[in-house]
Amino acid sequence: MPRRILIIDDEDDIREVAALSLETVAGWDVIVASSGAQGLERAAEHQPDAILLDVMMPGMDGPTTFRELRKNPATAKIPVLLLTAKVQGPDQRRFADLGVEAILTKPFDPLTLASQMEKVLGWD
Amino acid sequence: MATNPPTMPPAMLEALGRLWTKFLPEIENRLALLEAAVRSLESGSLSGDERESAHQAAHKLAGVLGTFGLHRGTELARQAELVFAEERTASAGELSSWVSELRLLIDRRK
Repeated sequence: MPRRILIIDDEDDIREVAALSLETVAGWDVIVASSGAQGLERAAEHQPDAILLDVMMPGMDGPTTFRELRKNPATAKIPVLLLTAKVQGPDQRRFADLGVEAILTKPFDPLTLASQMEKVLGWD
Repeated sequence: MATNPPTMPPAMLEALGRLWTKFLPEIENRLALLEAAVRSLESGSLSGDERESAHQAAHKLAGVLGTFGLHRGTELARQAELVFAEERTASAGELSSWVSELRLLIDRRK
């Protein structure tokens, strides 16, 4: 059965390129959400194998969404990978302290995004 | 033995091309925000709101351009992002030249 991935990102272009990449290269099923709040609902409803979560979003940002995911027993154990264009050292350390599985940086390579995810999630 | 880097399947290249065309207006809107902010900076009238909008626009451009293969675009947008976030300094002329180069790169891909 193909993996199911939830992408939570407010930017349409990033969401669509990431979805294209994961569906085409890895053959995974992709569910998308355009806000943290929508992401929480979709995660509970669809129980994805992993979540790719943007950091800077209006309203509920990535770190807050992550904490909410962890609070809900239905989503607490789903691996979360942050996807961020914040590449400065202090930002990266702050994100690492959250307890996410990994931090992937934007821009990503559409050809290797799935293999990057497989590697950090131990799926390879 | 060295392995060759993976090559993009033609179907994916085509799909990415379609997404580039689809999202080009949004990318150009972000670029226009940056250009307007640079003009305001040069004339000494950059407001806090305009700086923040430019910061957000540069951040989004930095995140997306390399995904479409415009890695130099990501570098330029990232420099502009740091300046508008006041995390590094640059002259208005320097910033203007980065944004002009960004415009050239994006125009060439149209």
